[in-house]
Amino acid sequence: MSATEETVKDIIVKIVHCDREVLTPTATFQDMKADSLDMVQVLVALEDEFGIEIPDEDAQKFQNFGDFITYVDAKVAEKGNA
Amino acid sequence: MLKGKVALVTGGSRGIGRAIALKLAEQGADVIINFFRRRQAAEQTAKDVESLGVAAKVIKANVGDPEKIDEMFDIIGSSFGRLDIFINNAASGLPRSALDLDAKGWDWTMDINAKAFLLCTQRAVKLMEGRGGKIVTISSLGSYLVLPGYVAIGISKAALEALTRYLAIELAAKGICVNAVAGSLVTTEAGMLYTRAAQEQLGEAFPWQTTPAGRLVAPEDIANVVAFLCGEEAFMIRGQIILVDGGTSLVPFSLMSKGG
Repeated sequence: MSATEETVKDIIVKIVHCDREVLTPTATFQDMKADSLDMVQVLVALEDEFGIEIPDEDAQKFQNFGDFITYVDAKVAEKGNA
Repeated sequence: MLKGKVALVTGGSRGIGRAIALKLAEQGADVIINFFRRRQAAEQTAKDVESLGVAAKVIKANVGDPEKIDEMFDIIGSSFGRLDIFINNAASGLPRSALDLDAKGWDWTMDINAKAFLLCTQRAVKLMEGRGGKIVTISSLGSYLVLPGYVAIGISKAALEALTRYLAIELAAKGICVNAVAGSLVTTEAGMLYTRAAQEQLGEAFPWQTTPAGRLVAPEDIANVVAFLCGEEAFMIRGQIILVDGGTSLVPFSLMSKGG
């Protein structure tokens, strides 16, 4: 399990108050029982934590927890290469 | 009319904020476009502002977060050194009834819609000091009419309207005019999303399908009045809530669907 995944899990559990075990790569927002406000707050927290930007245009494509990890990893790598 | 002025529009990427940014630019103001979630839209608005022959700057900031407000105004201070016009437009909120509204939803809405107006104004005034300025905030009829699923936003707008009056008096001696523009249902993406949510709660069509003026309020209708309030001709208007609603507030809901 990557450090990114652990941090993303910490953030989602803190904001959404879901069980950590729910957060498998295929877990959807419905599985997390997250409403639209939860999701915005998760995105904002991820941006602050990783120093990246996740515009809604990209976030709207996220289908599950795995998509978060893939996206955040790519953005962090992109930032490192910049 | 606003040539050489520097204006900040929070939530300026789309909807009412975008229309205001373009209107102020059309009148000659350089425009700072604050956005929270939609960078592409903000950059498009900036491009459209620049095509009117003035400068544009995009600043990302969640105005619900005091630290981000400070960062935004630090950037404005270092980039422009002053501010002439502050438009408090950014707004958010979940469509919930009072009994379904939790503390998180309340705080989120109040922070972005009401508290941000206070904190942004405190910083904006420092950049207006000694020269005067114009501050306009965007409200809605939901500040005093009871609309389905609008409790949190309605309360935040009521707070914002009260703050408009207090600020208007506190800042009058500094030559800073503070007013609000309130619309009924405005034809924006957010307005349409709200209507759909409200219709689900009501189980029937939302009563505001039109206004006595014959159509719904467009973002440009709000922007026109905001621009007027930013001009010197509006100097003696202080602490007022100007309704731009096509007469909606004068007609009972039950008659609205019949076209007033």
